Amino acid sequence: MEQYLELISRAVVEGDQDSTVVNVQAALDANVDAINILQKGLIPAMSEVGRLFEGGEYFVPEMLISARAMKAGLNIIKPLLAGADIKPAGKVALGTVKGDLHDIGKNLVGIMLEGAGFAIYDLGTDVSPEKFIEAIKTNEVDLIGLSALLTTTMPMMENTIKAITNAGLRSQVKIIIGGAPITQEYADKIGADGFAPDASQATKLAIDLIGQ
Amino acid sequence: MEKQETQRANRMIELETMPQFDMAMKRVYAWFENEIIDRPPIRFIAHNAFLEAATEDIALLSREQKKQWWFNSELQVDLFIKSIQGRRFHGETFPVYFPNLGPDVYAAFYGAELEFGEVTSYSIPFVRQWEDADQLIFNTNNEYFKKIEVLTQHALERCEGKFLVGYTDLHPGLDCVAAWRDPLQLCYDLYDHPDQVRRLADRAFEDFEFIYDHFDAMLKEKGQLSVSWMGIPSFGRMHIPSCDFSALISQDFFNEFGLPILQQETKTMTHNIFHVDGQGVSKHLEAILSVPDIHALQWVQGVGDDYPIMQWTAFIKEMQAKGMPVIVDLSVEDLNDFMDTMEPKGLFLWLATDNEQEELDILKQIEKWT
Repeated sequence: MEQYLELISRAVVEGDQDSTVVNVQAALDANVDAINILQKGLIPAMSEVGRLFEGGEYFVPEMLISARAMKAGLNIIKPLLAGADIKPAGKVALGTVKGDLHDIGKNLVGIMLEGAGFAIYDLGTDVSPEKFIEAIKTNEVDLIGLSALLTTTMPMMENTIKAITNAGLRSQVKIIIGGAPITQEYADKIGADGFAPDASQATKLAIDLIGQ
Repeated sequence: MEKQETQRANRMIELETMPQFDMAMKRVYAWFENEIIDRPPIRFIAHNAFLEAATEDIALLSREQKKQWWFNSELQVDLFIKSIQGRRFHGETFPVYFPNLGPDVYAAFYGAELEFGEVTSYSIPFVRQWEDADQLIFNTNNEYFKKIEVLTQHALERCEGKFLVGYTDLHPGLDCVAAWRDPLQLCYDLYDHPDQVRRLADRAFEDFEFIYDHFDAMLKEKGQLSVSWMGIPSFGRMHIPSCDFSALISQDFFNEFGLPILQQETKTMTHNIFHVDGQGVSKHLEAILSVPDIHALQWVQGVGDDYPIMQWTAFIKEMQAKGMPVIVDLSVEDLNDFMDTMEPKGLFLWLATDNEQEELDILKQIEKWT
């Protein structure tokens, strides 16, 4: 089993989608459990990708092709996981706050969180506080991720948190924030539960806050 | 020849808003040469000052109304004039209007659509399928190109003695390709379709010189200098090369796809100031500095964890040691520490200030900086 998992992991880290698919299929054919493929092959591989990204060895293109390879592998085992009572690591709604149309950072966070086993509800850009509230109510999300790239749209993060609080939903969700102008100090000031400077660290933060 | 250009232009430019114009230009030119006359040049900035002059809340406008607001040439020039009314410009703060439809306007010249926000615009990816690239055609009847022409013309008619008119923000490199394709999609393309990326990058540069020359000619015909959003004029041809997309990619990819365009776009310019958009771009500095026509850098210290400037002094000293002039963006609160730590040679300071007296006090302070 170890040999198959090692090959799967290597293929994901190298961003090799075809090899990932071949090796996941080979592992299944050799009766390796789908849960093991997920938890000991695919997810650890994305953790390694995050480590390489933080260490400056990988950049966004490498992270993206690894995540794509991971997803291709995941798609093969998904039907087998359905009956295995595997729950996502958590449910996350992501969005760039109202007035801001930048989405690179938000999308990367979504890709990395998905790679770590979270279910993602991407609300898009220019997202009003009401839409975040609706996502909490409709999808029972555990975590909200707010993104902003502009200093002019940063205050909308605070407005969104206030709106969630006023709607009586604050205790149901953790809220993390990110974006170029954001700091931990700002996160503390506006009552967010955390801040992450990049997608890899956002994933770690999400695991710390709500990971199951 | 450059001296003759300087003398000729000096006779032509007189700004009631900036009585020390000649001396300011001399300081700028000394800085270009990594020299210093009496003090480093300094620019006092008020980001988006013209937007603050707006009477309506742009956020409340519909998508189409926002575009109309940005496209309203009379309003745009009026707002700029209102923002400088009664102001006197100190140091090397040149009153410059540049026609602005956002940083992706160059991509829009080829057919991409822009979506307008409150302070900037965003391009809507145009090349969804590779066949779409065939539709990327620059022509002078493009609505964005025409609008930049109208904005320029309108400003030229109203600038006499009050302000300089510049040209718009032109990004012919990977930033343009990213605007056409979407930045994350372009990241995949670097691995999946490198030949198509090269093709788009070539397309993005094809008409650059024509476009630059077109607006340069419009400005020069009216005795203007060469200046853009940085507000640093040249009597020759000023350009601000940049590659914000490079923050996302490795040095290998930048060297392969970004550097060749940078080498070309800087060739015909008298002065190139590379816009280093924070530490993500700075990892490519070795390659950027290998381009012989880069005359100076603008170090954007950024916000968030990139603030304050004092954490970047070692980097700035390294640039000084290389003889590379650098624009340094700092806050008034950091000025004393910065002056205590740094030598002034090769630096061009940018500071956001609240009032004229503060600017005059800072000028006195930096006159003593040796």
